[in-house]
Amino acid sequence: MSAPTVPAEPLVSPDIVSSIFYGAAVSDTLVLLVAEMVGGTARITWCNEGATQLLGYGLEDLRTLPVSALVPTLRGGEVKLLLRRERSARMNLPVRTASGALVEVVVLCTPSPSGRMWTLRLVPATNDSERALRATADAHERRFATLTERSPVPTLLSEQGMRLAHVNDAFCSLVGLQAEQLLGTGWMATVHPEDLDGVIEQVVAVLGGGDGEATARLVREDGTERTTVIRFAHLFTPGVGAGFVGTIEDITDRLAFEARLAHQANHDPLTGLPNRTLLAEHVAGRFTPGGSGLACLFLDLDNFKVVNDSLGHAAGDELLVEIADRLRSTVRPGDLVARFGGDEFVVVCEGVEEADAVTVAERIGAALAEPVRLGGVDVRPHASVGVTVQTDEHTAAEELIRDCDIAMYQAKAGGKGRITVLDQQARAEARDKLRLVAELRTAIERRDITLLYQPIFSTADRSSVAVESLARWEHAERGAISPATFVALAEESGLIGPLGLLVLDETCRQLAEWDAELGAAAPQRANVNVSALQLDGNLHPQVVAALARHRLHPSRLSIEITESALMKDPASARAVLTQLRDLGVQLAIDDFGTGYSSLAHLRHLPVDCLKVDRSFVAELGQGHTEIASAVIALAENLGLTTVAEGVETAEQAEQLAALGAGFLQGFSLAQPMTGERTAAWFAARAR
Amino acid sequence: MTGRAVTQHPMTPRPMTLARLTSPGAAVPATLAPAPTFDLEGVLASIDTMAAQKPVAAQIVSVANSDDTSAAALAQILAADVALASRVMKLANSAYFGMRGRVTSLQFAVTVVGFTTVRTMATVAVTDLDDESRLPADFWRTSTSVALAASTLAPRFGERPQDALCLGLLAPLGVALLHHNDQEGYAELSAAEPTATGRRAAEVRRYGIHAYRLTAVALEQWGFARSMVAPLAAVDDLSDGDAGLLRAALELAARLTVADHQAVPMERLTRGLLREDAVPPVMDRVRAEAEELRLAMLGQ
Repeated sequence: MSAPTVPAEPLVSPDIVSSIFYGAAVSDTLVLLVAEMVGGTARITWCNEGATQLLGYGLEDLRTLPVSALVPTLRGGEVKLLLRRERSARMNLPVRTASGALVEVVVLCTPSPSGRMWTLRLVPATNDSERALRATADAHERRFATLTERSPVPTLLSEQGMRLAHVNDAFCSLVGLQAEQLLGTGWMATVHPEDLDGVIEQVVAVLGGGDGEATARLVREDGTERTTVIRFAHLFTPGVGAGFVGTIEDITDRLAFEARLAHQANHDPLTGLPNRTLLAEHVAGRFTPGGSGLACLFLDLDNFKVVNDSLGHAAGDELLVEIADRLRSTVRPGDLVARFGGDEFVVVCEGVEEADAVTVAERIGAALAEPVRLGGVDVRPHASVGVTVQTDEHTAAEELIRDCDIAMYQAKAGGKGRITVLDQQARAEARDKLRLVAELRTAIERRDITLLYQPIFSTADRSSVAVESLARWEHAERGAISPATFVALAEESGLIGPLGLLVLDETCRQLAEWDAELGAAAPQRANVNVSALQLDGNLHPQVVAALARHRLHPSRLSIEITESALMKDPASARAVLTQLRDLGVQLAIDDFGTGYSSLAHLRHLPVDCLKVDRSFVAELGQGHTEIASAVIALAENLGLTTVAEGVETAEQAEQLAALGAGFLQGFSLAQPMTGERTAAWFAARAR
Repeated sequence: MTGRAVTQHPMTPRPMTLARLTSPGAAVPATLAPAPTFDLEGVLASIDTMAAQKPVAAQIVSVANSDDTSAAALAQILAADVALASRVMKLANSAYFGMRGRVTSLQFAVTVVGFTTVRTMATVAVTDLDDESRLPADFWRTSTSVALAASTLAPRFGERPQDALCLGLLAPLGVALLHHNDQEGYAELSAAEPTATGRRAAEVRRYGIHAYRLTAVALEQWGFARSMVAPLAAVDDLSDGDAGLLRAALELAARLTVADHQAVPMERLTRGLLREDAVPPVMDRVRAEAEELRLAMLGQ
C-alpha cells in the first residue's frame, strides 16, 4: 500500500531547494508537472523540460491545460481519484499529447501539505528494452505453446495445484474429451479412482520441487482404460506459485505385450495351460507349512505313446489339447490345471479334504474316458491319477508335487486308469528311497563301494583263468545292501554312470596291482559287469581310458552285459560291442537264457562268451539238464565259450564239464574275495 | 490496454447485465434522491483505515505481488494471522484445487493456491468482504460464480486461470464499498436499475464513479497487476478485447444467480471469442464448484 504523504523537512536551506528545483526543471529524463485548483478546475500550472518533450506542448499551452484534458480517460469526478488530498496516488493512464496521441504512463501524484497543489510525475509505462524483453518472452511462450499443442506426447500444464491451465490435443485424444472438460480439476475424473491418490501424492512431491512419476489408469470417455505413466516436472512461475508439467506415456500396449511374453514364459504353447514354472509358483504361493486343504492331482495319460506312434504326433498333440480342455471344464472354479510335461498334467485344488480330491480325480477320470476321434479312430483316453493332500509332514510346496508324482507311479504300477492316494507307508518308502539315493551318491564319491573278485575256473584243468568283479556296498547303518537293490537304484537315479566307471577303474587298478605283486601268477583277466544304461558311445572311450590309466592290454578285460540289456536296442548295442571287440576286449553275455533273446540277433553280436544263468545250473541237481545243455551246445555251435555260474556243488561241476561247459564259477569252487585275499589265493595256487 | 475512458453506451441494447442485488420486482422509484454527502475520497481513505486494523493481511497485499516473493516468506507473514492462514489452508485443500487434504503445511498451501490467490484472500480480509452481514445479499454467491466462470474460460482468452479467478473474486469489491458507505442509497439504486449498464450509469451519477471502476482504483492503489485492473475499468467498452473475459464471466454468473436475468449473447460480449454452445458445460462446472469455493473463501 502507498505510504501516507510526509510533509517536507522544514529546515532545508533555500540554496538546496533552489538547486533541486533547477535540476528538476531542466531535466529531460524526469517528467514533472504541478497541478493546482484554479477556479474550481484542476489545471497544470508548471512543468519541466522533460514534460514539454514528452507531451509536445509549448510551455505556455501546458501551463493552463486542465488536468482532465491531459488524462482523458478520467471522466467526470474521477480526476479526484488521482488528485487525492490526503495521500499520494498511482495510476496507469494514457496521457494525451499535443498531437492528440495517447501515451501510456504511470502517473505518480503527490499532494502538497496544503492540499491545494499536486506534483505529478509521469513515467513511461514501458521502455523499448522492456518491450523487447516482453516480446521475446511472448515469443518463447508461443513457441512452447505451439510445441506442446502439436506434440504427439499427451501433455498437461498446471499452474496451481492439481488445476490444469492447459492440455494439448494429444491428451484430449487419449481420453476422448475436449479441453474444456479437462481444464481445472476436470481431468482428475479421467484418472481411475484407485490410482488418483498415487497421482496426487506425486503432484504434492512435485509442487514442493523436483520430479516424480506415477503409473495411473486413465478412463476414456467410452469407458475403456489406458494404462499410463505420468511424468511430472516442477514448474515455478515467479510471483505466481508452483505448478507442474505432466507428460503422459501410454503403456497399455507395452504392458499387454509384456503380459503376453510373461504368459508365454509361464504357459504351455500347445494347450495354453500353465506350465511347470507357474505350477511351482502357484503351489508355493498357497502352501504354508502346517496348513491343510491343499491338494495336488498328478495325471499321466495311459498309452499316450501308442497314440503318438500309431497316429502320429499331430494326433498326439490334438489329444493333449482335448485333454486340456476337458480338464479345464471338469475342475472346480479356482482350481489350477497345469501341464507338467509330455502327457502329464497336475491339478491343484484348495480347501479340500482327501475325499473331495478323490471326487475331483474321479470326475476327471470320467470326463477323460469319453472317446476322442483322432485320425478317424475313436480313442478312449485313460489316465493314472496320483492324489496327495497336504499333511503336517509336508514342509515345502515341492514335496506336495513330488508326492502326487509318487502316487501316480503307484497308480500306474497297480494297473492303468487307477486313482491312488499317497498313503503314509508309500510316502515313507519314497522318502527312504530318496535318502538311500543320496547315500549311494556319497558312497560312490568316497569310493565306499568296494569290489570282491570271484575266480573263474577252466573245466579242462581246473586252473583259475579269470575273476569276475562284484560290487559290494556295506552301509554304515543298514549293513550290506544287495547289488540287485543298489544297482537298480543307481539306474533309476542317474548314478549308474559313475558307479560303472568306479567298477571299471577299480578293477583295472586291481589287475595292475596283482600284476605288480604276482607277476605271471596274477589273474589273466577280469570280468566287469556293464548296465544296459552304459551301452552308449561313452563306454568305449571309458574302457580305453581305464586300460591306459593302468597300462593294461585290452585282452585283460572282459565286459559282461545282460541279455536283456542287449535286447533293448540291439542295433546300438551291437555298434558299441563292435567297438569294444575291435579294441580287443572280450565280451560275454550274462544270465544267458533268461531274456528271451532272439537267436538270430545272437548270431550277429560280436561276443565271445555266454554265461549260463545260475537258475539253469541249479536245475541240474533235480535232473533237469535240458536248458543248460542246450545253451552250452548253442554256444559251441556259434563258436563261443561258456561260463556256468552259480556252481554250488562238485556234482554240478562234473555235470557241466560233461555237458561241455568251458568254464565254471561258483561258491563251491571259490567265494568272492577282496583284492588282497584274491592275491593271496592266486599266489597260493601258483605254488 | 489500459485505463480507458469509462464510457456508457446508451445505444447498445442490453450490452451486459450483472447480478441484481435486490429481488426482482421490487418497486423502482422514478428518481433517486441525491447522495447528499457521499465522499468518494472518504471511501478510498476508509480502505486505508481498514488496512491499519488488519496489518498482517495488509502486509500480504503489499508484498505478494513482488516477483521475488517466496512461498516461505509469504507463509511466514501469513502465519501471524491465524484466521487468514486457516482460510488459505482450507482453500488449498478444497475440491477446487483437487489436493484432497494433502496440503498440511502453510507454505505448501501458499504454493498450491498461488501468490495471487493469497493476496486476493488478504484483500478480502482487509476490506471486510469476509463479513457477509455487511455485504449485499448473495454477494459471495455472485462473486464466486464470476470467479469460477472467469477461471474456467480464461484459457480461451489467453489468460491465466488463477489471475482470472482472483479478478472475478475481487471485481465486486466496489459494490461492497458503495453498499457499505451508502447502504440505503445503494439498495435503492440497484433496485431501480435492472440492467448492469443502467446501474453503472446510475452509480456514476450518484457517486461520480461506477463500482467496477472503484474496484480498479482500489486494486491499482494496492499495486495489483494492470492485467487485473484494466478489464474492470473497461468493462463497458465492448470494443475492448481485454475486458471480454470479465464480461463473459459476469454474464455467465448472472445467468446462474439472477432469476429473471435476460441473457446477452456471449458472441457480442466477447467479440466472437466465446460461442453460446460452449457455455453450458462451463455453467455446469461453475454451478458445481461455487458453493465449495465460497465456503473456502469465507473459512467456513
